[in-house]
Amino acid sequence: MKHILVVDDSVTVRMYHRKMLGDAGWEVDEAANGIEAIEKSLQRADDAGFDLYVVDINMPKMDGYTFVRELRRQTGQCAVPVLMVSTEGRASDALAAREAGANCYLVKPAKPQELVLTAALLLGDRRAAAAVAGAAIEGKRS
Amino acid sequence: MTASILAAPEITGADFLKFRDFFYRKTGIYFEESKRYFVDKRLVERIEATGADNFRAYFVALRFETTGAELQQLVNAMTVNETYFFREHYQFDCMVNSMLGEIVARKRPGERVRIWSVPSSTGEEPYTIAMYLLERWPLIDTYDVEIISSDIDTQVLKAAEHGVYSKRSVANLPRAYLNKYFTPNGQDGYVISRDLVNAVEFSHANLTDATDMQRFRNIDLVFCRNLLIYFDDVSRRVAAEAIFDALNPGGFLCLGHSESMSRISSLYSVRRFPDAMVYQKPIPKDNK
Amino acid sequence: MALRRSSAAAESREIVERQYPRDDRGLIAQLCDSRPEVRRHAVRDLAAHADAALVLGERLGVETEPSVREALFTALSMHPSEAAAGTLLALLRAEDAGLRNGAIEALGAMPAAVGPHITALLGDPDSDVRIFTVNLLIDLRHAQVAQWLLQVLQGETHVNVVAAAIEVLAEVGTRAELPALRAARERFSDDVFIGFATDIAIERIEAE
Repeated sequence: MKHILVVDDSVTVRMYHRKMLGDAGWEVDEAANGIEAIEKSLQRADDAGFDLYVVDINMPKMDGYTFVRELRRQTGQCAVPVLMVSTEGRASDALAAREAGANCYLVKPAKPQELVLTAALLLGDRRAAAAVAGAAIEGKRS
Repeated sequence: MTASILAAPEITGADFLKFRDFFYRKTGIYFEESKRYFVDKRLVERIEATGADNFRAYFVALRFETTGAELQQLVNAMTVNETYFFREHYQFDCMVNSMLGEIVARKRPGERVRIWSVPSSTGEEPYTIAMYLLERWPLIDTYDVEIISSDIDTQVLKAAEHGVYSKRSVANLPRAYLNKYFTPNGQDGYVISRDLVNAVEFSHANLTDATDMQRFRNIDLVFCRNLLIYFDDVSRRVAAEAIFDALNPGGFLCLGHSESMSRISSLYSVRRFPDAMVYQKPIPKDNK
Repeated sequence: MALRRSSAAAESREIVERQYPRDDRGLIAQLCDSRPEVRRHAVRDLAAHADAALVLGERLGVETEPSVREALFTALSMHPSEAAAGTLLALLRAEDAGLRNGAIEALGAMPAAVGPHITALLGDPDSDVRIFTVNLLIDLRHAQVAQWLLQVLQGETHVNVVAAAIEVLAEVGTRAELPALRAARERFSDDVFIGFATDIAIERIEAE
């Protein structure tokens, strides 16, 4: 079972991402900013943190870029994938995200299929990726 | 004349969700559905205490209040704030099992370890630290340790130095410690040994007063439990920064069980040890 | 070895010497010291001066050390003023996300000083600035909050700004805002997220 942590100061966005990702079959937890996300990550009993982080950029106390850097530094989790989602499609944001250590960048609000497919690919979850692709094909047929 | 009994204000599901999101945003404390009874009861108490007609009126007043006093009362009501010996003792376990080891590894020979307990309240926390060091830290005979403890309230400081405690306060103590460090006073109270009282240095101090805080320097370990959660947003930051400046690089800070730096400050790194998760002042890279 | 009381002598030996004078010029000079702890101490001492906002704001523009930046934002928050708000508002457009977010947080602590700027901010060409401003409204103690949120619901074109306003209304909204919420849902009828957000807000308001 894959565990995802949604990190966003917006309660509505957290609920929305939780629904999309939960419906796809993954366990989802939430944090309201980068510091809380690091704490939750360290608290996980199996010491492995989460399997994927879905992270906002603009948050109080610790922004998304700083969080990704600190996650890698404070927890030692250098390989875990990070998907950044943010409000602007500026090329500079996507570049900054990569430089901070994120793997992927989506613009909010992400379409459900886009979010789930990207998450599936980052998680290496072929079943889920196929399900999204299958649903998309069904959608086109009907 | 008929007495009319007003129905107690009702907390609907939507009210609970509104409150929960607000409280989580402010404090980082999240109430699961299973805590409905706990939360509803206390919300009703605060609604009645403030004379509000219903939850909605209370919530509006809460958000518009300039002093933040009701928010503090609300936090008070929603958190458990009794003090007693060995309270949340997993953090003291962490002290002797993990944190002190890292601290002394950075000490020069003869250099003291300094531990600060704030607020001292009536002394249960600093005296607990003292007992832990004497009984549960193997290296207590190798290093000198100073325990300093402060509070803004002179009454509780007096009580701490007086050192008389109730049955309730000592209930969590191992029997052997109770027998060794306390004497019953014949009036259902226990008097703590003068040796322990003399081992702690008490002082009056205000965490948000920069001048006051200049006295606190070169501290290795701070316990600041169940205090910052009652401060307003700006005062919390001021206090967190004061503690940061008081700490040595690599020094540790323990907050209360339900408190988190995530609503206060990003100054500290988070460290997880087997017994507890604590905060640490980073060590500058060139400072080995 | 064991538990020891500190002696006065030990106290003075161990406390870091404050080598510099604490007058204004001295403090301002220390803001540029190469050591972060010296800069931090200078910031905290300057925080006591209500008219240090401009100096502190200027330093924020060049300070790179996170712990000193924190202290600078805290110092500005301690003395809400037009000058402090002015320096923070300028940072809303900073390249650095940490500066932008720190400025927003500090502005949230000064409702009276930021109030006069809200209307202009809600019309800023940068949608992130408009989102920040809407988010500020959730804790802002100001009589015009509902009106500003309605303005956004009715006139804003950027979906994320509208979403921010809907979220604020989920907590602070009243039945008076229900028609505008439904209209916004209609206006963005092809956006699943807006539908999701308005459903929550409407449910929370209707349940009262």
